[in-house]
Amino acid sequence: MSEIAVSIEHVSKKFRLYHERNQSIKSAIMRGRTSVHEDFWALKDVGFEVPVGSTFGLIGSNGSGKSTLLKCLAKIYYPETGSITYNGKIAALLEVGSGFHPELSGRENIFLNGSILGMSKKEITGKFDEIVDFSGVEQFIDQPVKNYSSGMYVRLGFSVAINVNPDILVVDEVLAVGDTEFQAKCAQKFVDFKNEGRTVILVSHSMESVRDMCDSAAWLRHGELVRVGPADETITAYLESLPGASAA
Amino acid sequence: MRYLKEVLESRELLANLTLREIRGQYKRTIFGQLWSLVNPLASMLVYTLVFALIIRVQPEAGDPSGLDIFAVWLLCGLLPWTFFSNVVQQGMGSILGNVGLVQKVYFARIVLPLSKVGSVGYNWLFEMGVLVVVLVICGAFVWPWLPLVVVTMVLLAIFAAGLALMLAVANVHFRDTQYFVSIIMQIWMYLTPIIYPISLVATQSEKYGGLFGTTVSILDLYRINPLERFVAVFRQLLYDNRWPDPQDFLLCVIWALAAFTVGLWIFRRSERGLAEAL
Ligand SMILES: Nc1ncnc2c1ncn2[C@@H]1O[C@H](COP(=O)(O)OP(=O)(O)OP(=O)(O)O)[C@@H](O)[C@H]1O
Ligand SMILES: [Mg+2]
Repeated sequence: MSEIAVSIEHVSKKFRLYHERNQSIKSAIMRGRTSVHEDFWALKDVGFEVPVGSTFGLIGSNGSGKSTLLKCLAKIYYPETGSITYNGKIAALLEVGSGFHPELSGRENIFLNGSILGMSKKEITGKFDEIVDFSGVEQFIDQPVKNYSSGMYVRLGFSVAINVNPDILVVDEVLAVGDTEFQAKCAQKFVDFKNEGRTVILVSHSMESVRDMCDSAAWLRHGELVRVGPADETITAYLESLPGASAA
Repeated sequence: MRYLKEVLESRELLANLTLREIRGQYKRTIFGQLWSLVNPLASMLVYTLVFALIIRVQPEAGDPSGLDIFAVWLLCGLLPWTFFSNVVQQGMGSILGNVGLVQKVYFARIVLPLSKVGSVGYNWLFEMGVLVVVLVICGAFVWPWLPLVVVTMVLLAIFAAGLALMLAVANVHFRDTQYFVSIIMQIWMYLTPIIYPISLVATQSEKYGGLFGTTVSILDLYRINPLERFVAVFRQLLYDNRWPDPQDFLLCVIWALAAFTVGLWIFRRSERGLAEAL
């Protein structure tokens, strides 16, 4: 095996499910605690390794914990147990354009969003043309982004994020909004990433694209890791487990 | 120490977020930045009408500046107060108002409340600039005191930032905080000698003498209020044009550092859980 980019060991993540979510001081005082809750484990003892330079897919049904795992990778949530170790700089693309300010222009938002993702002003200036080019919205770059179509929004956000130049890129299913042309562009970008020796971890419900793009994949079910291995086999096993599934 | 380093590394983000606030604020308005003057001017008119013309509150003339204009005297206390109150209230809501960011992107969360200090501070700087011009026109000799005014402004910003950090966390866990605080701020304003001079309190306090058989007077209790000290220092510098009272100034420093240290400590402790609690 080659070098490891991300190693996830025994990661468990607990959420509190509130029966009566009442974030008020009154209810806290009345009961002597914040609220009645029960624990829900969204991830249970998940562990796998992602080798450097691979494209890794994460699949599973809705609510199986894929996004939660990505958020743990992105340091937005902190797992209760277990550890995650990285080898290189990580950038996460969980929701595109979440740092955009609707009244500001595309140009201003590139700088804003870039700095939220950890780029310096110099880096952004250096890459500005590349970002605009890739997004294909140069005609509207000085318009406020609230006038953008949702696809344009995603294009611009995605272009900023891939130009952060991470060693490890984590992508949740954000590309579905882009048109075919843009999706092809992104797929190409993932290939370039791979050729440059970078690692991509992505979540997708489109089994074809996972099969096309990924070397290996992990399958999560109810927060548990069912299977990890070569993409083809994992996908086949996943599809077969679905009720009423014929070979897709 | 590692935390401070991380915060330092985010200063560019902080600058950009502050710019976002400033630029977004008056976008598509005709008067733009001038709007930031309208609020203090409106309050100034109302308070001057009620307190100077109807109730006839008479603050002492500036010594040695000789200024004796209620509206100007009022602004020297009102502008710092408005800044403080806005920073605390906007900073408190900053985490809740950026749910999208906090749940989707990793960055030092502290930049959110701090960017409010920046954007509100920017408006304040503009207002204070106008006030200085007014003071000069009225014949005050403020120039030598401006460096100290800036220092005091920084101290007040640090104090406000400390409170904003604490309350931002509290507000995520208890949404009551914001409503509670807006009431507190109203009461607090009237407990601070902004629209009336402290001499009125002193007179009353003398009448009652020590409370409950101690030597502690009403005035002593009244002066625990940190904002009282800040307002006093601003007036000494801007309206009176003299050295601030060393005790007042020292207390401003202490309050600022204490509030910021506690705020930072609380914020740091709860930062990790914020995304989940939202
Ligand atoms: N902040 C939270 N508080 C409580 N429960 C949560 C929270 N975030 C996620 N969950 C729960 O964790 C489980 C996994 O959610 P997650 O978003 O990871 O699913 P997913 O695999 O990404 O699903 P999808 O395919 O629909 O995107 C769900 O049952 C969800 O209700
Ligand atoms: Mg998801």
